[in-house]
Amino acid sequence: MEMFLAAVLCYGIGILTVFAPHHMQIMAHYVANVAAVLGSGLVFFNSWAIIAGDAPVKALRWGNYVLTCDNWSAVFLMITGLAGIIASIYALGYAESYEGKRLRILNGLWNMFIASMVLVLLAGDALSFLLFWEIMAVASFLLVNHEAEKRTTWNAAYQYLVMTSIGTAAIMIAFFLTCTHSDSFAFADMAANTLKGGWLHATFAAAFIGFALKAGLVPLHVWLPNAHPAAPSHVSALMSGVMLKIALYGFGRFMLDFLSEWNYWWAVIVMVVGLVSAFLGVLYAQMEVDIKRVLAYSSVENMGIIFAAFGCGMLLKVVTDSNWCQIGFLAALMHAFNHSIMKVLMFMSAGSIMHGTGSKNLELFGGLAKKMPYTALFTFVGAMGLAALPLTNGFVGEWMVLQGFITLAHNGLTQDVRLLTVLAFVLMGLTGALALGCFVRYFGITFLGAARSRIIEHAHESDVFMLTAMGISSVLVLLVGVFPAYVIELLCKAINMSDYMVLGVGGQLVWSGSGTFVTYNPIIIFGMLGVLGVAVLCFVVKQNVCIQKDVVWNCGTYPTARQQYSATGFSKPVRRAFDYLLKPKRERTFTQNDHSYFGRKLFYKLEIPDMISEKLYQPFNKYFVSASAFLRRLQQGSVRLYVSYVMVAMVIVLVWGAMYK
Amino acid sequence: MMNEMLMNLLYCLGQAVILLLLAPLVSGIVKKLKAFMQNRVGSSIFQEYFDIYKWWRKPTMLTPHTSIVFIAAPCVYFITTLAAASMLPNFIGGKVNFGDVFVFVYLFALGRFFMAISSMDAATAFGGMGGSREVYIAAFVEPVIMLGILSNMLHTGSTSIAGMVLNPNELNLTVAGVLTGIAFFLVLLAENGRIPVDNPDTHLELTMVHECMTLEYSGRLLSLIHWASQLKLLVFLLVFSMLYLPLNIPLVAKVLIGAAGVAVVETLNNKMRLFKVRIYLAAAGIMMLLAVVAR
Repeated sequence: MEMFLAAVLCYGIGILTVFAPHHMQIMAHYVANVAAVLGSGLVFFNSWAIIAGDAPVKALRWGNYVLTCDNWSAVFLMITGLAGIIASIYALGYAESYEGKRLRILNGLWNMFIASMVLVLLAGDALSFLLFWEIMAVASFLLVNHEAEKRTTWNAAYQYLVMTSIGTAAIMIAFFLTCTHSDSFAFADMAANTLKGGWLHATFAAAFIGFALKAGLVPLHVWLPNAHPAAPSHVSALMSGVMLKIALYGFGRFMLDFLSEWNYWWAVIVMVVGLVSAFLGVLYAQMEVDIKRVLAYSSVENMGIIFAAFGCGMLLKVVTDSNWCQIGFLAALMHAFNHSIMKVLMFMSAGSIMHGTGSKNLELFGGLAKKMPYTALFTFVGAMGLAALPLTNGFVGEWMVLQGFITLAHNGLTQDVRLLTVLAFVLMGLTGALALGCFVRYFGITFLGAARSRIIEHAHESDVFMLTAMGISSVLVLLVGVFPAYVIELLCKAINMSDYMVLGVGGQLVWSGSGTFVTYNPIIIFGMLGVLGVAVLCFVVKQNVCIQKDVVWNCGTYPTARQQYSATGFSKPVRRAFDYLLKPKRERTFTQNDHSYFGRKLFYKLEIPDMISEKLYQPFNKYFVSASAFLRRLQQGSVRLYVSYVMVAMVIVLVWGAMYK
Repeated sequence: MMNEMLMNLLYCLGQAVILLLLAPLVSGIVKKLKAFMQNRVGSSIFQEYFDIYKWWRKPTMLTPHTSIVFIAAPCVYFITTLAAASMLPNFIGGKVNFGDVFVFVYLFALGRFFMAISSMDAATAFGGMGGSREVYIAAFVEPVIMLGILSNMLHTGSTSIAGMVLNPNELNLTVAGVLTGIAFFLVLLAENGRIPVDNPDTHLELTMVHECMTLEYSGRLLSLIHWASQLKLLVFLLVFSMLYLPLNIPLVAKVLIGAAGVAVVETLNNKMRLFKVRIYLAAAGIMMLLAVVAR
């Protein structure tokens, strides 16, 4: 635990750089980010040691406040540490471009943000959890709002603040209910609570709403696609990569520790909400033209998959009451770990693209691979990971999630459960294929083909810090993808997985959820594809006839970059297929001059409003505003009126008191 | 132990190579059957070999915009298809288990990812068109395949390909089995770009999907793509005949039955409009759903 305190001390030094004098701001920037790297490194290695069983944990107490760490929180500390190291290395290069734009505050808040996430995970009682949770929320709000000059940023930040406050309120209710039924704020005592009946359901509902809001599950995701693009890229990397996972930590804490008696419907709700989030998230991701919004919606998708896996585990526990349920929790953890690496990588690459071109609009890109070859390579790895292709860690998580659902289908013998697995497989299939399409589009439009606008001419590759950070994470994506067994072993310990469950033996994954053993051996596949690839490349490269380059045949005309498919055009078939869900709003006007065919100007505007915010939040918002306008009539500003209010209130209190003497 | 595994792996690869050598023949037979049913003479059943050889010898043309992805994509498509072929239950001996049916499906996804990405590399309108359509069709194929896996798993209690293959003597003549088989055949047509989803022989921009993506390829790269596509068709036909044709006849005969089925469907149908494909695949999906419920 002392190591964690040392880490917090590092972050503290980072926060103190806010007070550096103006002329030393670049030095302060380096100090702050190196402090963040060191602190995250301490967190990472210490939590790793804790899971591996090498480091004893001694809880720190200060009055009623407890800081402690068990295996469940250690996993998330590991995720936080790893993502923190990578993103802070990236920040060394990326944040420097904020020189003169409140750089010191950015770095201070950055340290505070990581420190608060670490402390949330270390909190061993409800009060300190909520305290650090709120610090995390406020720090991330301020970071989102960093470029407050922009109206959209400002809007997104305040939307985030309101939503996250609602979430915190729900979590507070959940903690309050648990605490009052156990007469203690310490997590260890809260595990022995006496919640039952309606209170149990209420606690579940409050906890699920609160944490689902933070995790960005549909329909509580509306803040996410606005807040993540608004923040500086390294901040969105950490928000997406780690902060969303902390919601899973909290939810798991409630489910695994506090609420031991699960209801069938809870499990169904968690699973279905997760699946629907996964599907809608990826569907909107494919429609977006803002690269960071694509990634934000992809986070909705992946958090959906993670919660669906968790719900699958819960359902297995409820239906079969056997240890099979552990595949669900393990898959959720594995996917959380993998997604944090991949999403940090992708947000960093989006930051590099923005840094290099000054834009985040997909429609303006094209051919960037020639200007930014390393960024292109790293983005390609990340895109493969998020499309869950074999040999990346994304597929390891996907495989385990699918095995979880297979286990559910095999062991949950009722017709209800079977239909739920049908839903799961349909939505997982759709999600997988749409994610593939989404990242084909993301990578292809950005990096391949010809430049669609002038900004590409001036694009430049990122600096060495940013490339190092992206390089580390893309190596991790492949490394965990090919050798997943060690990570899985660690995660098995985190959920106290029974020994007879063989998952991750001898470098391969083995699971027998459907009655017979099935395997995924990425090492063999890697070797096989490698050997075949070398053989095929030898044939292609050693071709004795030379490779010629010439302009592509284009029906007799000279091809221009504008004839390429645009990002909007690429997703048109899917948009049309899911018309009834997306309800795109098209606006087409053209100014007609003398000739009806030539020389006219076309304006085409396409907008895909988020269905949930359109149908759910805006009517509510409208109602809320009109109700507030009505209430304003009470506030007339005259002192006599207020005195009379006081008097009326007093009379009511007196009468009430007299009645219940 | 290690040696034994390597031997087994070699057997798997050997099987993949044998399938690779046979794949053009199967495509040639499908073409010949089609020609026969359309009252044409048609080309020789070995024509596909000549085509591959022809492209293999020709020089490769690239456009100025292409990057390394353009060259890598056909290779990856080729080797992932080969790897998937080596995952089929072995008929030349040797046994190695390195992935279940999800891995099998996702290996094809890996190839598709590369092909779809490469389609945007040549900076033409056609490429993007093909990639976009491929991705759209894949989005509807994938859920049906997932349901098919579920249906088979419920019947055989396994998701490994070898575990799902039925004993030939045990006829899978349940309603669920037949429904799954039919739906899988529909998926087979869609996955391999056959009529009624896509037409492998067309070169008209309004109709083509797969050809669009590969339009800018030439020479050795083109031959790799065509060869891999033929292998993919053979692999799907093999899966179809092993899982859904549990007749007590040699595997070769079953594959020929499947190939004849493809030829019949291609002769009797027209290519459907792109946006009707989702209805076609929804029908397959509903059959799969009924099969799962009936299991």
